[in-house]
Amino acid sequence: MTFRERLQSWRYNLVPDHLIGEILTKRWTDNAIPFLALVITVAGFGTAIPGFFKIASLQDSTRQLGEFSIVVTGLVVVMLGGGIDLSVGSIFALSCFAAVSVFFIFEQPVWMALAAAIATGLACGAINGYLVGVLRLRAFLTTLVTFIIGRALFDILVVNFAAQIQLSMAMSDVWDFIGDGTVFGFSVSVLTAIVFAIVTHIALTRSRPGWHVLAVGGSRRSAHNAGIRVKRTVFLTYVFSGFCASIAGFLIATRLSGAGPGTGLNLEILALTAAVVGGNSLGGGRGSIVKGLMGAIVVLVMTNGLIRLGYGTGTNQMVLGLMLAVAVIIDIRWLKNRHKVLNEVYVAPVYLKMGETQSAAPGSGTPYELDNRLSETEYIGLGELEGPEDVILDRDDNLYCGTRHGEIVRFFAPDYKRSEVFAHIGGFPLGLAFDRSGNLISCVGAMGLYSVSPEREVKRLSAETARSWTSIVDDARLRDPNDCDVAPDGRIYFTDSTKRYDAHDWALDSIENRASGRLLVYDPKDGSTKTLLDGYRYANGVCMAHDGKSLFFAESWACRVHRYWLEGPKAGTAECVIKDMPGYPDNINRASDGNYWMAWLGMRTPSFDLSLRHPGMRKRMTRRLPQDDWLFPNINTGGVVKFSGTGRIVETLGDLTGVSHPMVTSMREHKGYLYVGGILNNRVGRYRIPGADEGWTGPRSYWGAGK
Amino acid sequence: MRQSRKLSQEGIVLATAAVIFVVAGLSLPGFLTPDNLVSIVRSVSVLGILALGMAIVIIGRGIDLAAVAIMAMSVAWYLQLLNDGMADGTAIAIVLCGVLAIGLLNGFLVAYADVPAIFVTLASGSFVFGYVRSQLISQDAVPVPPDHWLARFGGLRFLDIPIEVFIFAALAVLIFLFLRFTKWGRYVYYAGDNPIAARNIGIPVRPMLVLRYVISALIAFVAGLLTAASLHSINTRVVNSTLLYDIVLVAVIGGIGLTGGKGGVRNVLFGAALIGIMLNAMTIIDIPLIYQNLIKSTILLAAIIIDGLVNPRDEQTAQQGDI
Amino acid sequence: MRLMLKLLAAAAALSMPFLAVQARAQEDPGPAAYAEAMKGKRVMLVPMAMGFDLAQGWASYIKKEVDAFGGTFETRDPNWSVEAGAQAITEAISSDTRPDVLIVHSPDLNSYARLLKKAQAAGTYVILIDNPANFAADAFVGSDWDRLGQLEAEAVIKGCGPNSSKKIGLVQGDQVNASSLYQYAGIMKVMAKNPDFQIVAKPDSNWDATTSRNVTTTMLQQNPDICGIIDFWDGDAVGAAAAIRDAKMQDKVFLVTTGGGEKTADCDKLEDGTYGAVVMTELHQQSRDINAIIKFLLQSGQAPGTSKTYIYTLEKATTKADLKPDSCWDLKALQTAAQ
Repeated sequence: MTFRERLQSWRYNLVPDHLIGEILTKRWTDNAIPFLALVITVAGFGTAIPGFFKIASLQDSTRQLGEFSIVVTGLVVVMLGGGIDLSVGSIFALSCFAAVSVFFIFEQPVWMALAAAIATGLACGAINGYLVGVLRLRAFLTTLVTFIIGRALFDILVVNFAAQIQLSMAMSDVWDFIGDGTVFGFSVSVLTAIVFAIVTHIALTRSRPGWHVLAVGGSRRSAHNAGIRVKRTVFLTYVFSGFCASIAGFLIATRLSGAGPGTGLNLEILALTAAVVGGNSLGGGRGSIVKGLMGAIVVLVMTNGLIRLGYGTGTNQMVLGLMLAVAVIIDIRWLKNRHKVLNEVYVAPVYLKMGETQSAAPGSGTPYELDNRLSETEYIGLGELEGPEDVILDRDDNLYCGTRHGEIVRFFAPDYKRSEVFAHIGGFPLGLAFDRSGNLISCVGAMGLYSVSPEREVKRLSAETARSWTSIVDDARLRDPNDCDVAPDGRIYFTDSTKRYDAHDWALDSIENRASGRLLVYDPKDGSTKTLLDGYRYANGVCMAHDGKSLFFAESWACRVHRYWLEGPKAGTAECVIKDMPGYPDNINRASDGNYWMAWLGMRTPSFDLSLRHPGMRKRMTRRLPQDDWLFPNINTGGVVKFSGTGRIVETLGDLTGVSHPMVTSMREHKGYLYVGGILNNRVGRYRIPGADEGWTGPRSYWGAGK
Repeated sequence: MRQSRKLSQEGIVLATAAVIFVVAGLSLPGFLTPDNLVSIVRSVSVLGILALGMAIVIIGRGIDLAAVAIMAMSVAWYLQLLNDGMADGTAIAIVLCGVLAIGLLNGFLVAYADVPAIFVTLASGSFVFGYVRSQLISQDAVPVPPDHWLARFGGLRFLDIPIEVFIFAALAVLIFLFLRFTKWGRYVYYAGDNPIAARNIGIPVRPMLVLRYVISALIAFVAGLLTAASLHSINTRVVNSTLLYDIVLVAVIGGIGLTGGKGGVRNVLFGAALIGIMLNAMTIIDIPLIYQNLIKSTILLAAIIIDGLVNPRDEQTAQQGDI
Repeated sequence: MRLMLKLLAAAAALSMPFLAVQARAQEDPGPAAYAEAMKGKRVMLVPMAMGFDLAQGWASYIKKEVDAFGGTFETRDPNWSVEAGAQAITEAISSDTRPDVLIVHSPDLNSYARLLKKAQAAGTYVILIDNPANFAADAFVGSDWDRLGQLEAEAVIKGCGPNSSKKIGLVQGDQVNASSLYQYAGIMKVMAKNPDFQIVAKPDSNWDATTSRNVTTTMLQQNPDICGIIDFWDGDAVGAAAAIRDAKMQDKVFLVTTGGGEKTADCDKLEDGTYGAVVMTELHQQSRDINAIIKFLLQSGQAPGTSKTYIYTLEKATTKADLKPDSCWDLKALQTAAQ
């Protein structure tokens, strides 16, 4: 290895470039800009104001924040539902008045005051909700008018009853506690705000009514057509917003013990600003409670901070305006360009020096020497099939294969002319295997591990494994389950080829060449899935050894085959049995003579091998060239290899014509024939193996003669 | 078709205005005098002028929440410059540049940075107010210097009708002609109705967007000058008042859809008429302001509800994001 | 004046012990005691907004004194927002740099009452200025709005004269805030004593000049023979003045308003005949009262909330006839002096 290559390998294999892309795929990076704004604001004012972070000071100064965030929470829900509520300020003021008047004028207990405030809020919210949700009036205009009505009502009430409120001597410890007291060091309003935020967040993200709100906001028409009760959903968002405003109104009532003409003035514009600074979009479709909260904190900390630093009228608005503009512009640009950035940086190739290999050229005399035998196959289902990645035969000689349409097709013995859709699963069924009771197990690309009973019942066995702590992408999900096989004890061993790409993006994975393939096991006894091995370059075919004590699995992009021990002294470990093959291995299956068949989906080329030693070149290639111009692994010539349990290559079958089976992803021996599948083929091939045991079948080899 | 057109929102608003007008005319002494009619028009002329600017922006599927800030702050800055002894020509040139810059900035951010108009103008309105208030002027209210042309201008009368009314009328006619009869005026509707289609057929959608915000800013400046001319001072507190809501209300209540592409000068005039007649009648009856607000908004709500009942929106054809 | 004497007496009484101890030092112990009590004290002013003449006037006068005795003077500018003001007070109380004296210009009777009680409990003296509140402050310094209204009414009656139509119009504030309601009450007291005068209209301006102009225009049209108008604040009275000017009735209508006595806002307008009379708050006097009470409280040693002093500023209706060069104070001059 030259020094330059060593540097390259350090640079590309040790620097975790791929993490940037993985982080960018996260939904929460959507919050990056508002969060940054939050950190800058809090840090800035925290250092500028002495004692800003002092607990005692925070307890008092965050009371207003608590009330404000509750209002913002309500507004965000309305906005997520595709509306807007400008009347929050009025509802806030009216509820505050309701609480104050019940407590001071009618001298009722605190809970009555709270009930009065909530009733006011719900009533106002219901009016808004009825007008906007049920009558379908325009939200902006309608809530603007209800805002003015509410404000006028409040002013009239304050003028007429303020004097009575002031003269009242009503006292209550509970009232004072809500306004002044703390629980575990938190003021009541902050605690309430936290509870509201958590409950609302969970409701929005994990409950049916919450999903309905998001669906309506995302596309009202589609939600309507999907049968969601749009009107009721919208109605409820306004009621909720009214409820939130009323709770906030009650809290300020207890804090200030009075209602004045200025209560809640301009609150709507401040709340709207907060929601927007946090990154919630008007008209629905994008946003969250967290965003709203971040916006609320930013806006309030800044407004109060500037006042506290003694800046005069105007500075506040100037900074707020600037910040709103900058935050929103960056946010919008970020939102628009994130997927572009993601496309640019996600593919992060690594350095790999492939080992020297033996030639596969016809006449080279090596065990890998390709011949023309596969061109002699007869075709089954020509033109009816699309993408039979794997093929398998049952005890009754019927042939099964998956298709790109998410179906498993069955060809009936003996002539395989007749076919039917055996089961529809979805995804892209890849590897197939029969278990002891004749259930067809399939690795379905992009979905997981599935089982189809002889009665054609489809059952999901596994779609996820344990989440590892260090991985940034969600590696619990099975993105590309590829092949499976069943152990004598019924456990299903299967591979998940890559953690970083979906099944259809396998080519990107080959170009990146990062080792992220896994071997997993599903235990039918308790339904659990465990990761056994990790870090293979596209883990692919799996085959149980004849004695059932170990299994073979292929590592495609490294051109290797490994043996994983299930029992014996090496149980739980893997060893490489074949390395540096000239082709990319795919599925592996048992042969009747005690050896194993292995498919080559394609052949190595010197050019691609060379490119693997130049990760920078591959990175530039994916960024700057259209996909058609990329350098891919060659998948236009392949073959079938037979190897022994010790890894010795017995023979190699090929198709030099390039007509019948240039690429092979799977083959299955059955009663003297070899059935050949290919993921890009439109048929299954059938090749008569000279001298093979004509009684040998897969199910019998695995599960014995009995039914 | 004819039936449904008769019952459109603008029809309802016009009918409401007419009913109030007739009732007030019959029952309130002094309501129907020419003087009072002029004062009705005058009382809504600045509001109407601002609403005209807003209408152009809204028809093009935008909104200009910075209008009031630009109106008050540009003129406040202008007067401050004059009070500090700057020559009139220089002062007005500088302020005009400022107004243009803000209009351009708004338009640029909406058109080229793809930021929704409501955010851009909310931010720029706040910034304009804050910057001018904190950096350029020292007090909420700035007086017009004695014997300045603006003070005399405010006292101008023609046929005993204040000059504002004529300016309002002239602007209304101008904008009507622009929207109705010029190519670019029609483009405003196309761009408002379907910006993507408008762009595909080759309409310069983005430059026109910028133009609309510049027009709106200039109109706001004119409205500010008229306010100062009449009151001999400008109070920047107006930015924090409900004037902004009133402008949107006048534009939208008359039947200009916030989704764009619909309405025109006529709708602004109807909306302004309704508000003007209502306020004037209530002032004559001597209803306190807080009750006036209640009555005004209740009538507006009734108008909206009737419109909603007569012209219900269809789930299938309603536009996404139409709030 | 009597109060000043009282204050001086109190201050003297307080310094007695020091006097006794230091009698032998052969120098006046007063200044040292004064300096000791005042040094490093924090005074904070929270007006409704810093953007209008009165607030800037107070700030300027108080700052001069506080700086002189070595204290720290700060202002907070809530810009007419009650919430922001409440928050500013809350943070001031709970901050490390809690002010020793909090001067509050309350926007209404109730909103700050509870916070101010907390401030007193925390050890801060609270002085209310200009607007009363439903709270027993250590001192209230400001106008008696009721008395102000009476002065306005008397001025307008005098301005109209006995041979006029005796019809008066009011342009009220908002009928919500104390300053609006109490003024109205004061005016009505005087009107009750002068039954031949009648109020023909009393619309609200909502403290906005444009609204004031519109309602005044309507009022003048409905009652062309009106002889006097009271507008509740010089901030919006320019609107009423504009309406009168538009109707060409400057000679017939006598406009009375209230104001902070700032030169361009009040005296210049009296001079050019825009206003007939202005009931002015003597800002200079009022600020001096505030300063005196600050000094008193800081030396008193009493717990906050002990005293409940009311100091009403002398108000006087000023007309063009009794306008003197020093009737008004000049904001520009104050600002220039501050720089």
